[in-house]
Amino acid sequence: MKIEIQGLNQIYPNGNHALKNINLEFGTGMFGLLGPNGAGKSSLMRILVTLMKPTSGVVLVDGKDIQKNRKEIRALLGYLPQDFRFFTSLKTWEFLDYSGSLAGLKNRKERIKEVDRLLDQVGLLEVRDRQANRLSGGMKRRLGIAQALIGNPKIIVVDEPTTGLDPDERIRFRNILSQLSQHDVTIILSTHIVGDISSTCQGMALLNRGELVFSGSPENLVKHADGHVFKLTLSPYDYERVKEYYNIISTIPVETGWEVQIVSDNPPEFSSTNIIPNIEHAYVYFMEHKLHTEISD
Amino acid sequence: MTFLHNIRTVAEYEAKTLRRSWFFRLFSIGSMVIFTFLNIGMFSPVGNESWDLVSISSSVPLINLYLLNIGQAIVVIFLAADFLKRDKKLDTNEVLYTRSMSNFEYVIGKTWGILRLFLGLNIVILSIGLLINIISKSLSIDLMSYLSYLLIISVPTLVFSLGLAFVLMSVIRNQALTFLILLGIAALNMFYLWFRIGSIFDYMAFGIPVFKSGIIGFDDLNFIINQRLLYFFLGLALVLATVLLFKRLPQSKLHRNLTVIFLIIFLAGAAICGNNTYSVYKKGVKNKNLTIETNRQFENEDFATLTDASIDFIHEGDKFEATTLLKIKNENKESLKHYLFSLNPSLVVEKITSDEKNLEFKRINHIIEIDPGNALLPGQTDSLSITYKGGINESFCYPNFSDNIKETPYRIQMVNVHKRQAFLSENYLLLTPESYWYPTPSLNYYPSNPARIKIDFTNYRLSVKNEKGLTVVSQGRVKTDEGYSVFKPDNPLTGLTLAIGNYKTDTLKVDSVEYLSYYFPGHDYYKKDLNELKDTLKYMISGIMRELETNFSVKYPFRTLSLVEVPVQFYSYPKESTQTRAEVQPSMVLLPEKLSTLQNAGFYKQFTRQKKRNVRNNQVLTDKELEVRLFNNFIRSTFISGENFRFNNGVASNEPTRYLLGPSFYFFKNNFFSAGYPVINAVFESHLQQLGQQGPRGGFQAMLGGLSDNDKANLILKQISFRDLLSRNPKGDTIRTVLKVKGDWLFNLLRAETGIDEFKTWFYKYIEDHSFKRVDIEQFDTDIKEKFGFDFYPYLNEWFNGKEQPGFLFTDLKVEQIIIGDRSRYQVTFVASNPEPVAGLFNISFRTGGPGGSGRGGGQNSEIFMQGSRGGGAGGGRFSISMQGRGMEAADISKIVLMGPGKSKRIGIVLDVQPRAMMINTLFAKNIPGEITMPINDIIKTKGITKEFTGEETLSSIPPFTDPSEIVVDNEDSGFITTKLTTTSPLKKLLGIEYKKGKSYQELSLMFIPEYWQPVVQSSYYGKYVRSAVYTRGGTDDKSVTWTTIIKQPGYYNVYCYIGKSVDRMMVRTGGQFRPGGPGGNNDQQDGKPPESPYKDMHYKIYHDEGVDEITLDYEKADGGWNNLGKYYLSKDTAKVVLTNKSTGRVVIGDAVKWVKQN
Repeated sequence: MKIEIQGLNQIYPNGNHALKNINLEFGTGMFGLLGPNGAGKSSLMRILVTLMKPTSGVVLVDGKDIQKNRKEIRALLGYLPQDFRFFTSLKTWEFLDYSGSLAGLKNRKERIKEVDRLLDQVGLLEVRDRQANRLSGGMKRRLGIAQALIGNPKIIVVDEPTTGLDPDERIRFRNILSQLSQHDVTIILSTHIVGDISSTCQGMALLNRGELVFSGSPENLVKHADGHVFKLTLSPYDYERVKEYYNIISTIPVETGWEVQIVSDNPPEFSSTNIIPNIEHAYVYFMEHKLHTEISD
Repeated sequence: MTFLHNIRTVAEYEAKTLRRSWFFRLFSIGSMVIFTFLNIGMFSPVGNESWDLVSISSSVPLINLYLLNIGQAIVVIFLAADFLKRDKKLDTNEVLYTRSMSNFEYVIGKTWGILRLFLGLNIVILSIGLLINIISKSLSIDLMSYLSYLLIISVPTLVFSLGLAFVLMSVIRNQALTFLILLGIAALNMFYLWFRIGSIFDYMAFGIPVFKSGIIGFDDLNFIINQRLLYFFLGLALVLATVLLFKRLPQSKLHRNLTVIFLIIFLAGAAICGNNTYSVYKKGVKNKNLTIETNRQFENEDFATLTDASIDFIHEGDKFEATTLLKIKNENKESLKHYLFSLNPSLVVEKITSDEKNLEFKRINHIIEIDPGNALLPGQTDSLSITYKGGINESFCYPNFSDNIKETPYRIQMVNVHKRQAFLSENYLLLTPESYWYPTPSLNYYPSNPARIKIDFTNYRLSVKNEKGLTVVSQGRVKTDEGYSVFKPDNPLTGLTLAIGNYKTDTLKVDSVEYLSYYFPGHDYYKKDLNELKDTLKYMISGIMRELETNFSVKYPFRTLSLVEVPVQFYSYPKESTQTRAEVQPSMVLLPEKLSTLQNAGFYKQFTRQKKRNVRNNQVLTDKELEVRLFNNFIRSTFISGENFRFNNGVASNEPTRYLLGPSFYFFKNNFFSAGYPVINAVFESHLQQLGQQGPRGGFQAMLGGLSDNDKANLILKQISFRDLLSRNPKGDTIRTVLKVKGDWLFNLLRAETGIDEFKTWFYKYIEDHSFKRVDIEQFDTDIKEKFGFDFYPYLNEWFNGKEQPGFLFTDLKVEQIIIGDRSRYQVTFVASNPEPVAGLFNISFRTGGPGGSGRGGGQNSEIFMQGSRGGGAGGGRFSISMQGRGMEAADISKIVLMGPGKSKRIGIVLDVQPRAMMINTLFAKNIPGEITMPINDIIKTKGITKEFTGEETLSSIPPFTDPSEIVVDNEDSGFITTKLTTTSPLKKLLGIEYKKGKSYQELSLMFIPEYWQPVVQSSYYGKYVRSAVYTRGGTDDKSVTWTTIIKQPGYYNVYCYIGKSVDRMMVRTGGQFRPGGPGGNNDQQDGKPPESPYKDMHYKIYHDEGVDEITLDYEKADGGWNNLGKYYLSKDTAKVVLTNKSTGRVVIGDAVKWVKQN
């Protein structure tokens, strides 16, 4: 399944230009959408899931404009919104059953079977009859992914799925997505947590202030940071100085002071070692040094 | 189909969500509990089983859904508005929006989800009702009505409420504001719009009459369907509008287009239904106006008298065809160039012939104007035949009454019943003369003189063809001849009524009268309930009829009396000119189906209730005795008296029941006619028909403090002449009360000048001799002149056109015990004056008997607290006053005095028994109250033989009303000031509630004591003509009344206040001692102790030269009359006395204050 985004613009009535001429193309597998808060990820997601109409531009799925073919596109979609916490008074299985029924599973028996299968897959079978509102944050997310998966969607859009989850839940979640990406589906994952991308995505795009600043594989992004990530061991006095001039990515306390990692265009004045960057380093380097954008989170 | 699947899915989960909401749970559980108790209370054997409800089985689902609907119409607003708010608030719901379903499917699914939930609740509530319906012995089951009311009441309300809530929420997108608007609309419906413009705005079915008859079902289904479909369609259109307004990108062009198309269709449907609903209203108003305007054109024309009418009638579905052969006579003074008839405007005249020649005629709305060729000279007769066919236009029947259901409500409990004046369908027909189903030479309404009515006594013959084999009912004896039912009444009648239906008949002959009852199968429940009466029924009916004949001093004039069951919707409006309602026709009474709206008709329930009460009170009463009592109660409350008290636009009126048999004794038999005084017959009837009534005011009305009819009428006539009042066609019971006063005056005049007993004997014979004939009042005057030498006709001009009222002052009442011959007797003398420039009349009667005396008046002599409304019994003091000089009997009147203008007379009356009080009825006068009771406390014992004085002695001058040396300020005087509230609560300020000041007079009510100074009248209060005081609720010194005067001569003054005591209607006591009431009174105090007096301390502030003195007066200990508050020095200045509302008692009352200079 090929998704093409062409010249996409979104301007809100308050004048906020959320998306600026976005052009993207990706196929099956997991596609990551990375960017700081307010970058326009959610706007793009909402356009992709037909909740919103873009101001201009088109999104084509296998050549079909999603705005002109909403009925068919929606039949292919599974969507997990960013804020998936509040439910009406439905039980866990009922919520899934509701989604399944609307996803086209008409046969009640089969639907219930599918509901239970998915609940099992996301580890919620035990809380099947619990009010969805009373599930923990992680459970709610898992219920969210389960409902996004019901009805075998071909395009799964997940918006900030790991926000607020504990590490265990986060890993569990990433695993579910990874497994899914092995099938013939397109998963669009929007996140501002870089770790979500690195482990799972074949392709990715970087959005900043509504603009597409990078698209390609995570490896390509990492390449941008090659030779720009350094490890330093600092006394408390030096640490304060480094903090003032460099972007510190990680800080680990050691006997003599601090072991820190920084990104920098040039090697620092202090004694340092060049290390192999990961996607996190690359994201910081890209945002801070290429785009001069301060990363808030 | 995916389409339906999606709708079902959304509906299922929406319903599930709502079902789990605490609000809906609370409402549904609450409803179930409330309606279970309500059904048990209203319809089950352990409950009330009010007969008006249980007699007609459709009332079970109706009452249930009517009440539930009010609740659900409000609750659904909350839940529906929550629908969009929820979608807006919960991102979670967005996952559903990304599913492949159209907005149409989603919104419709949501709507259906809510709807089915509420419908489920409706079904549960109906099931509770049905269960009770099954259990109840008094109720039959009408399953169809359960479904009908669900569709008529609930569905349109729910759909419209949902649609409106959705749209408003979609547009406003603010739940709180939407709630507020929707609740405002619901409140507007319930309190303002429900009756307006033919109930077109009544989306909740709060006011529209949907009562279903057990005989004819829904009588106005076309209107009901249109009105309800209006809101159903509008609701659907709003739901579809929500689809278009829904904030989700649409996915189906087809659905969107279909939505637009259906939206237009539903809007068009709503418009059509709205137009149909409005048309019914508009048509009604138009027809009524047209009728009035047409009548206005012809009201001054001469009409012939209809002497004979032979009607051949063929009933064909919802139409009929008739040929009427009419014989008319010209009883006018002028020739008739045209014959004028009224015929229902929906009946089309096909031809009119006379002597087999076609006559030219014009039809102007309901008027047929026939050109006979030659003028009909006075005294001549003519015959003609009119052939016509068609239906009945009911809005023609009572053009002066609007169809406004608030102005003229007809309700069973809280539910409005559609008022019908005629029925014409395949299976049932009812035509009364009011529908003008045959040509009648008169108008149904005279716009310039609404009290006018033209009555002809006509010899009828009616031949009816009905091919369906239904029973035909009309007046007179019936003969069946080759499929025709032919009726020939024994006497000439004022009108003819025809009913055709699936009637069953019972006949009972008592004395010379044949009683026929026509009822629908299964509706003769009373036979079982009053089973024990089988043997005695004849005697009971005979007794009741004899009692009626005695009351009216006239024999029942017909040989038959038919009691015909008609649909509950049949309703006639009261007429200004007669007590007769269309429910009572000559020799026929049209009773509501299963006697549903009649008091005391639920015999079985009353029987069991009374039985239990008897056991509790250790009373022994056989079943038969009990049934006799129930039957008598029923007959009395239905046909003889019975209050029908109601509030109409805030005005209380006591409309007589619709089934009074009284008219049969006068209206259907006698008619006094006058071209110059067209109201004369109404006045005669009003006076002669009053014996059966309970006095000036009914119990409940009296408790509320309403004035007596007499006083109400005199207050009205103070402003306007009788003639002008009639032409203004006032609302309420104004004309009725005025007719009564005017009738009383006229008959008292006749009695005063001819002698009370002499007039009675002569008049009784006169009206018998003139039965079924019209008597010109000028002829009546000639006959009186011939017999008694009294010409009353000249009095009529002032009586009808004059505005001035006489006013009477009564002074120097003295009673002496004298010896005449060897008998001790009582000489009563007093002075009566009429300072006003017009002559007047008053009559005098006495309450006699010793303390605690028995029989008539016995109860009045006791000092009793008449708590509750049962006080007085037959000996009620007010009753005896009100009855004096009314009706055919006038034996209770001792004397009638005619007083010329500016005259004063000493009146002397000698009584055989000791009088306790003298009662004067000033009839038509300025005196308020016009019924004055003067207690006789001191009787002078004269030794030796005294010369008696009986009669009248004219005095040379009018004695002064007050002593010139005294300064009296009454509450009627300009020196009397009531003060406003000094403080107003913040809430009242916010709501703009202003200080209320009682304007019109009332009688003192201890039930509703006003928080403002309300003027009240009572004969014990001080006053020249108006014996009034002001009273208010006891309080904390925040309100006051002030008497002020100018002191011209300085000096010491004794200051007095007036306490009007001893004849309070609710409390009668003298000397502060309580004694149980006599046999005539009803004393509810079981332990012999008086209840706490509402009157206690009253605080007067006397302003004088040395400051202000506050004098506390204990009402209970104060004397009736003037009470001295002290002696004070007053300079030449304004003096004042203030009474505040400060009191520990419930009531504070202020009347008059006087300053008496001390030498």
